[in-house]
Amino acid sequence: MSGAPDSELHLLIDRARTGDTRAFEDLARREERALYRHALRIVGTASDAEDVVQDALFSAWRSIASFQGLSFRAWLFRIATNRALDHLRSRKRRPELPLDPPDDDDITWAEPVAPGPDLTQLAGDREALAVVETALGELPAEQRTALLLRDVEGFPYEDIAVITSVEIGTVKSRIHRGRLAVRNALIARGWRGPDG
Amino acid sequence: MTLQHPHAELSAYLDGALAPAAQAAVEGHLAACALCRAHLAQLRATTAFLRALPDPVPARQLVPRLAPPVWLAPLRTLMTLASGTAVFLFIASSLMTNITFLAGGGPTGMSAQEASRDAVTALQAPTAAQPTPSAAGPAPAGTAEAAALDAAKRQDASASPPAAPGAAGSQDTAQLGSSEPRPSPLLNPWLWLTLAVISGATAIALQRRLRAPV
Repeated sequence: MSGAPDSELHLLIDRARTGDTRAFEDLARREERALYRHALRIVGTASDAEDVVQDALFSAWRSIASFQGLSFRAWLFRIATNRALDHLRSRKRRPELPLDPPDDDDITWAEPVAPGPDLTQLAGDREALAVVETALGELPAEQRTALLLRDVEGFPYEDIAVITSVEIGTVKSRIHRGRLAVRNALIARGWRGPDG
Repeated sequence: MTLQHPHAELSAYLDGALAPAAQAAVEGHLAACALCRAHLAQLRATTAFLRALPDPVPARQLVPRLAPPVWLAPLRTLMTLASGTAVFLFIASSLMTNITFLAGGGPTGMSAQEASRDAVTALQAPTAAQPTPSAAGPAPAGTAEAAALDAAKRQDASASPPAAPGAAGSQDTAQLGSSEPRPSPLLNPWLWLTLAVISGATAIALQRRLRAPV
């Protein structure tokens, strides 16, 4: 909800809660793209992500009277995340990958396997970002979700715990293991860290 | 240094999500451990990569259309006004018809007019209904005559004498029809009543759509 003053936001939320469809559409439009990128990286395909977001926004509208507690943005992300994970479960596109595998201490601090291109200099470059994107896609869905909510959307751990309905300790664990997996994927491509 | 390589805590430390005591402990360890500092730098860089991922754009509008189209409310108002106007015109045209009716000498005036109109229509009707028309002779004239008689039967006998049989009678009737101009359809009350009902029903439907919960 970038750039919107709190008072304006609260006014829109209040209006939406009293049934003002335009206020809700305004609120939803502010988060449309963020919800889409989040859903896309969970479900993997554009058309599915679009369906998930539309479904989530419609569901949010129908239950807006029950909105309370969380920030409105976190509330929308909670609905969209649940929809996306439900979609993933129902589709069982990757049955070989459990949504949330047991803690795996093997994901540790891999070291560079061989000299390779210095991806440090490629921050923001297509190659490094493609490696990151691929590594993200290979993470277990709930680990990926936590990592996206933290590093892409910038939610605090407390909100992520509410959005994903898990304990904060689980959130910490998922984020850390997700980051390690992405970092290790980069290392496997010859990345040697920010200091080279 | 109270911790032995707090790897598992580094992400939370990076995000400022540790309790103050744990945060201080990790900080103390980092001050003395180059390996953990390197790992922390890698995690920070990984986070930067994740933040730098491209921002995909949906191919279509994802916000569902909850609000009715903007033109719906003006159209509802227009339909309401149209309905009211049509009701007014219905009343006005009914009154005008009645005035004409009274000026024409009571019910016979109207019926005579209608009857003559029917007669003209019958005379002008194509003979397609008769598959084998006669080449010449009394058959067409007889048909027209019969139609004219049928129309004339609906007249009040006291007000209007029945049309004389034969060609002369049908000519008279035709002359009557052509001498009196047909009333304007705008004076037809049924037209306005129909329009009033249609526009009123549309206005009600639009109003329901405007107030309907999504």
